Amino acid sequence: MIDERTEELASARVLGTLSAEEAQLFDRQAQDDAELRALVAQLRGVTSLLAGTSAALQPSAQRRAELLRQLDHPDAAPANDAPAGRGWLPWALAAGFAMLCLLLGWQTSVLRGRLQAEQHRADELNRLVDTLRLESADLRQSVLTLQQSNRLANMRIAMLASQLHADPQAVAVSVWDNERQSGVMVVRHLKPPPKNKDYQLWIIDPGYPSPVAAGLLQVDPNGNGRVEFKATRPIQSANQFAVTEEAKGGVAVPTLTALVLAGA
Amino acid sequence: MRRISARERPAFLEFYDRYAPLLLSVAARVLGNRPEAEDVLQEVCTQIWRSPEGYDAALGTLGGWAVTLTRNKAIDRVRATSRHRRLIEEVATSAESDQSAATSANELLYGKERAARVRVALNTLSLEQRQVIELAFFAGLSQTEIASRLEQPLGTVKARIRRGMLKLREELGDML
Repeated sequence: MIDERTEELASARVLGTLSAEEAQLFDRQAQDDAELRALVAQLRGVTSLLAGTSAALQPSAQRRAELLRQLDHPDAAPANDAPAGRGWLPWALAAGFAMLCLLLGWQTSVLRGRLQAEQHRADELNRLVDTLRLESADLRQSVLTLQQSNRLANMRIAMLASQLHADPQAVAVSVWDNERQSGVMVVRHLKPPPKNKDYQLWIIDPGYPSPVAAGLLQVDPNGNGRVEFKATRPIQSANQFAVTEEAKGGVAVPTLTALVLAGA
Repeated sequence: MRRISARERPAFLEFYDRYAPLLLSVAARVLGNRPEAEDVLQEVCTQIWRSPEGYDAALGTLGGWAVTLTRNKAIDRVRATSRHRRLIEEVATSAESDQSAATSANELLYGKERAARVRVALNTLSLEQRQVIELAFFAGLSQTEIASRLEQPLGTVKARIRRGMLKLREELGDML
């Protein structure tokens, strides 16, 4: 005969409301009491029918397949198991980070190379500027020296500066011996003319209405040249010198819009 | 169960196909979340396959044991979340409503006639008896917690549970 207190415990046991300790004590008691075990079995059947009042759901075929896979491979995690899904994530992040590092390293290397190239070019330009400055200073000094020399008192010495925005480094020195009616011009850093053009020298003498032609000027690929020249007319006073870019072979009257070098 | 213990796969599949809808339905009712309920079903079935020695035929049927395992796992999960309070509210009010409109797991398992008998048996209980039983089973409340919630003496709660369960056993005796 089961008393009310035990029936309460049995009911509580199958409904899952006993604490772990209470449940353990009750199970121990039931082990030695067949009648009590039968009551528990019946009450558990009641809870099973009670559970069956829940709205019916059918498990998906996918879950069934997953379960069968798990039975065959007990150590295998289910396909949708979250921890397994997270397992590859650190590796993916690490791989992504490594790729990013490689990319940044490559970009840094490329940029460093470009920077070095630009620095090299800047150094070359600075050296060129220094060279030009020194050469220009040397030429000026030479001109002043010659002008002050009594020995060259009859000579007209002029420095011609570039008239080209695109070629500002071009420079020339002209020495005109009025007694001999001949001169010498030295030019530096003047780009060679186009193939169908020539550089032409001109002497500006106030005794003539237009410049007097004094021959053609050749420059090497580096823009350097030296020419001994004579005027096509007698020169009384060589006030200025000029170089223009003209048609191949030269012209009788200069194209002033093509002025390359000029100076007095 | 003996065949499952002997690792007979067809026997296990037979068990699964028969009881999985019931177990999933219970887990879903507790958790209110189908994917989680499917996870619980998977855990329970795996446990039964790997540790069948936990089953004691003297304490009930295999289906009854599986239901208990499922209910306990689902309750453990829902207790760990903020949904437990909502579940208690739902269970407390569901006892007052007629849920016969939906197809029950009992219908799938035993057929309409027997499922109807279970509903009739439940209707023989008083509202108070049904409420305390469902709060204990589906919401996972202890008898003390039920007493506190319903503002009833603990003894009253215990008595209602006992009388309600014995009444159901009496009504459904030939199905147990």
